[in-house]
Amino acid sequence: MKVLVGVKRVIDYNVRPRVKADGSGVDLANVKMSMNPFDEIAVEEAVRLKEKGVASEIVVVSVGPAKAVDTLRTALAMGADRGILVQTDEPVEPLAVAKLFHAIAQEEAPGLVILGKQAIDDDSNQTGQMLAALWGRGQGTFASAVAIEGDAVTVTREVDGGLETLKLSLPAVVTTDLRLNEPRFASLPNIMKARSKPVATKAPADFGVDITPRLKTLSVAEPAPRKAGVKVESVDALVEKLKELGVA
Amino acid sequence: MKVLVWAEHDNAALKDATLSAVTAGGQLGEVTLLVAGAACAAVADAGAKVAGVSAVLLADDAVYGAGLAENVAPLVAGIMGEFDAFVAPATTTGKNIAPRVAALLDVMQISDILTVEGPKSFTRPIYAGNAIATVESSDAKLVITARATGFAKAAREGGSASVSPVSGSGDAGLSSFVSAQVAVSERPELTSAKVVVSGGRALKDAQTFADTLYPLADRLNAAVGASRAAVDAGFVPNDYQVGQTGKIVAPEVYIAVGISGAIQHLAGMKDSKTIIAINKDPDAPIMQVADLALTADLFTAVPELVSKLA
Amino acid sequence: MQTYTAPLRDMRFALNELHQDDGFGHLKAHEEFGPELMDAVLEEAARLCQQVLLPINRSGDEEGCHFEQGPDGTSVRTPEGFREAYRQFAEGGWTSLVAPAEWGGQGLPEALGKMVEEMVCATNVSFSLYPGLTSGALAALTAYASDELKQTWLPKMVSGQWSGSMCLTEAHCGTDLGMLRTKAVPAGNGGYKLTGAKIFISAGEHDLTENIVHLVLARLPDAPKGVKGISLFLVPKFLLDDDGNPATRNGVWCTAIEHKTGIKASATCAMQFEDAMGWLVGEPNRGLEAMFTMMNAERVGVGIQGLGIGEAAYQSAVWYAKDRIQGRSLAGAKYPDREADPIIVHPDVRRMLMTMRAYNEGCRGVSAWISRALDAEKHAEDAETREKAADFVALMTPVVKALFTDLGFESASLAVQVYGGHGYIRESGVEQYLRDARISMIYEGTNGIQALDLVGRKMSAHMGRYLRGFFHPVSNFIEANAGDEQLAPFIAGLKRAFEALQGSTSMIAQRGLKDPEEAGAAATDYLRQLGLTAMAYCFAKSVKVAMTQLSQGSDEAEFYGAKIHTARFFFDRILPQTASCYLAIKAGKGSMMALDDAAF
Repeated sequence: MKVLVGVKRVIDYNVRPRVKADGSGVDLANVKMSMNPFDEIAVEEAVRLKEKGVASEIVVVSVGPAKAVDTLRTALAMGADRGILVQTDEPVEPLAVAKLFHAIAQEEAPGLVILGKQAIDDDSNQTGQMLAALWGRGQGTFASAVAIEGDAVTVTREVDGGLETLKLSLPAVVTTDLRLNEPRFASLPNIMKARSKPVATKAPADFGVDITPRLKTLSVAEPAPRKAGVKVESVDALVEKLKELGVA
Repeated sequence: MKVLVWAEHDNAALKDATLSAVTAGGQLGEVTLLVAGAACAAVADAGAKVAGVSAVLLADDAVYGAGLAENVAPLVAGIMGEFDAFVAPATTTGKNIAPRVAALLDVMQISDILTVEGPKSFTRPIYAGNAIATVESSDAKLVITARATGFAKAAREGGSASVSPVSGSGDAGLSSFVSAQVAVSERPELTSAKVVVSGGRALKDAQTFADTLYPLADRLNAAVGASRAAVDAGFVPNDYQVGQTGKIVAPEVYIAVGISGAIQHLAGMKDSKTIIAINKDPDAPIMQVADLALTADLFTAVPELVSKLA
Repeated sequence: MQTYTAPLRDMRFALNELHQDDGFGHLKAHEEFGPELMDAVLEEAARLCQQVLLPINRSGDEEGCHFEQGPDGTSVRTPEGFREAYRQFAEGGWTSLVAPAEWGGQGLPEALGKMVEEMVCATNVSFSLYPGLTSGALAALTAYASDELKQTWLPKMVSGQWSGSMCLTEAHCGTDLGMLRTKAVPAGNGGYKLTGAKIFISAGEHDLTENIVHLVLARLPDAPKGVKGISLFLVPKFLLDDDGNPATRNGVWCTAIEHKTGIKASATCAMQFEDAMGWLVGEPNRGLEAMFTMMNAERVGVGIQGLGIGEAAYQSAVWYAKDRIQGRSLAGAKYPDREADPIIVHPDVRRMLMTMRAYNEGCRGVSAWISRALDAEKHAEDAETREKAADFVALMTPVVKALFTDLGFESASLAVQVYGGHGYIRESGVEQYLRDARISMIYEGTNGIQALDLVGRKMSAHMGRYLRGFFHPVSNFIEANAGDEQLAPFIAGLKRAFEALQGSTSMIAQRGLKDPEEAGAAATDYLRQLGLTAMAYCFAKSVKVAMTQLSQGSDEAEFYGAKIHTARFFFDRILPQTASCYLAIKAGKGSMMALDDAAF
C-alpha cells in the first residue's frame, strides 16, 4: 500500500512569532523554519507502517516555496521514499492545498493519506477534511491511534469528551494529533541517503488547480495584553478573593 | 443573511458550545439551528427554545447518530442551498465536519473566529494566538467555526422556534462508528465549566495530582485541566490538556496550580476572566499573566485552601 | 537555568563563509557534501543534543555514576537516561560521523564533526566523553593497528556498539609516562598478558555498550627504560568468540570510580589488569607515538569541550540577564512598566555577556580553521597542502586545547557571576558548567604542558616552519587590507597584536636557546598571546565578510551587524590582554624563580 504524507514548512515551534509593525502579517525574515510538528507525526506514522510491512512506499508532498524542499528532505531522512514539491511563492489556503492533494491522490492512488491535523502557522485545521470531501473518502481526524486491517483502517480520535474509534474503508484520510506517536530523530546515514532520493518539482498549474486565495487578510495585530495582576499574600486572602468572585 | 448553525449534542441534550455558535450566527443574520442525530427530538425541542433561534431543522436518522462527517457533511451541504452561512462551534465535532462542508461547497472556511467584524470579515487567532488576523471572505457562502471563548452563550430560554424535519442522502458507506471512551466524570465539562482547576508537572505523579487537586475542584465545583507536561507525564488522560494543542478554555475563574505557563499553555487559557496562579516561583510566566498570584508551595497552600473553603 | 539552542547561524558562518581563502582549498573528497547536507546534519544534531542530551545534563550531575559490586564482579552504572540517550546517539549514526567509510563511518568532514562535537559538549560534556574516548582510540587503531585487529575491532567501534578507552595514567605517573610500570608478557598465541593498575580512566567501565576496547600503555619484558620502552596494547573487556561476539570476560576490572569536582556522569575509573589478554598495536616500544596520535585528536576535542561549555554558559547567562529584574538602568528606567529593569541593561553585566560572546565566536572561528586543516591533512590532493595542513594542526593543537578550555572556564565563571547568589547554588544549573569546565584545563595534558609543547616543540620545529604557517596568512591579510578604510581600526589592532607576538616570539627564541627555563617561564603567556591573536585574525576576517555582505544589501543585517559589534568589543576589550602577555614575557623568569624552594 502506498502512503501519501503532507508536510508543510512553517515557523519553528520554539520561535515566538513577531507581528510586523505595519500589521501586514508575521515577520518571517530570517526566522528559523521547520517541519510542522503535526506533519512530523504524520511522517513518523507512515514510516512505522512501512516498518510493519503495511506500507510499501511513502510519498511526501509539500506545497510551498523552493525552500520547502528542505522540509521534504527532512521527511526523506526520516524514512519517506520520494518527494513531490508543488512549488509556489504565493500564499496557499487549505482549500487550494486540498485540491492539489486531491489531484496528486488521483495520480498516485495511495491507500492512505496522512496529514497533520493543523499547521501551527495559520492554525486552520481544514486540509485533511477538505481532501477527504473532494476525494469522496472517509476521514479520521485528530488520530491518536491508527491500525490497518485488511481494506479498512481503524482510527482512534481525540475528541472533546474523550476518545472515539471509527472504522474507515480504504483509501482514507487520517490527520494526526499530538499523541499518535513520538517522531524519531533522523539518523545520520539516512540524512545522507535522503540527498539521493528523488524529489519531483511541479507547479499548481500542472494540476490545473487555481490557488487564488479566497480570504483576504486585512490586518494582523498582536493580541491585547492582559492587565498585570496583583500578588496575594496568603491563602486567607485568596479565599476572600474567591468569595468576592462568587465561586466559593 | 440566512445562517445555519450546527447544534452540538449527544442525541439527548444540547451542549453549551451550541449557544455560543448561536450568538456568533446571530451577529450575521437570522439563525436556523440544524439538529442532526438519531432519536434526538428532545435536542430539537431544546434548540427551539434558545433565544435567537428562529427555526430548527431536525434530521433524525440512525446514520447521523454518531455524527460521522462522511454522512453529515452532504446533508449540511444540501441544506446550504438555502443559506448564506454555516456556523459550527469550534469543538472537535465542528472542526471535523465544517471543513468537509466547505470543500463540498467550494468555499474556504474561516476557522476559530473570535469576533464578527462585518458581514464577511472576522478576527481569528493565528500562530497559537500570538497574532490576531482580520480576514475577509470573497466566497459566495460562508463556512465558519466559532470559538466559544469569543461569544457569549445565548439564553437557553426565550425562543419559540418551530421544528421541521429535513433529510439527506443517508449513509455514504465510507465509515462506521466503532466505540467511544467517554471520560466519565461527576465534574463539569472542561470547556464549559465556570471554574477550572489545572495542574502541572509540579504535581509529581498521578496519585499526587488527584490527591491534591480533586478536593479543591470538588469544593469549587470545578472542571479539572492539566498542562501538556502533566499529560505527557501520564498524570491525567489526554482530554484534560489545556493549551494550543489541547482544549481552549475561558472560564470565569482559572486556577493554575504548579504550572509554569509555557506559551502553548497560555494560548489555551488566557481568555479566562480571572486567572489565579499558585506557584513556588514568583518569576514563573504564569505569575505574570495571573490576576491573582500566590507565591507558595502548592503542597501546603492547596490543602490549606481546601480546608478554609469548607 | 541551563538553556541551549545550538548557534547554527554562527556555525554556518564559520563553516561556509569565514575560511574559504585559507589555502587549505576545496577538497575533492568532500565535494559531495554540499551546504544543504551540512545544514541538515547540523539541524538534526542540534535537535538530538537539545532534546536528548540537555535534559539529562543536570540530573546526571546530581546522580553521578554508580560503582557496583555484584556476584560476577564489579561494574559501573551510568545515571538514569544515559543508556537510552547513548542508544539513540549510536543508532542515529552520530558516533560514526567522521569515521572513514571503509569501517562503516560516514566520512563527513572534521569541520562538520567539530561543530557537532561542540553541541554535544554544550549540552552534556559528561556524555561527550563516552563517544569522545572511542574516537581517540579509533584514531590510534586506524593509524597503527594491523589489518586483522582493524577488521576485528573497528566496525563495531565505529557503529558505537563498542566503545573505547585510553589507559595511560598510573598512580605515580601522569605527565611523565616514562615511569609507567604496567607489564605485558607474550602469551604464546601472538597475544600478550597485561598486569598492572591504571587510574583516571574515563569511560573505563560503564553500561552503555556491550564491549569496551581499552588501549593500554605497558612495558614488554625486555623494554628499555623511559618513554622509549612503552608499547601500546588493545585489551578488550570481553574476548570475542569465533563469530566475533563478546563472550569471555577478560582480566580487566574497574576497582573504583573517582569522586570528582565535575563531569560526574562520566565514569572515571581505576582499572586493574590481571593477566588480561591483549594485542600489540603498532611496533614494540613505539607506543608513545601511537599514543600521541590519539592524544592530539583528543586535545582538539578537549578544546571543543571548553567552547561548548562556554556557549552553554553564555546562553544560560543571557537568559537570566533578560529575566532577572533588579534595580534601574543608570541612564534611567528602560522598562518603566516593569517593577525594575532586567539586569541586562547594566554595563557591567554587558561586559560579562559580551566577553563570553566574544570568546565563543572567536574560538568558533579558530576551531573551524583548525578543522579545515584536519580535513586537508587527510584529504588534500597535493602533498604540499597536506604538509602545510599538518604543520598548522601541530602548531594549533596545544593552543586550541589550552586557550579554549581557559576561556570556557572563564565564561562559566562569568555566568555564575551574572546569576549572583543564585548562580552559586545548585538549582540554577550554571555552577555545574564551572565544575564541568574545570577538568578540561587539566586532562589530556595540563594547560601548562600544552604551553610547553608550544614553546618547546612546536615553535622551534623545522626552524620555525610551523609558526610561519600561522604568521604568513596573518601578515598577508594585514598587507592586503591596509588600504581598506572601513576595516582600518581592525587592521590596526591586529597589526599591533601581531607585532607584539613577533616580538615575544623572538624574545623566547633567543633567551630560550640559552636558558630553557626562560622559555618555560614564558610559555603560558605566550600561548594566550598567540591564541588571542589568532582569534583577532578570525574576527578581522569575519568583519570583512560581514561588511561585504552588508554593502551588498544582505537580508541578514542583524546577524552581520552583531558580528561586527562583537568583533569591536573583542578588539577594544579583550585583545589588549596581548600587550600584558608581551610585558610579562619580557620580564623574564627572574622574579618567578628567585625564591629558594625552601622559602615556599
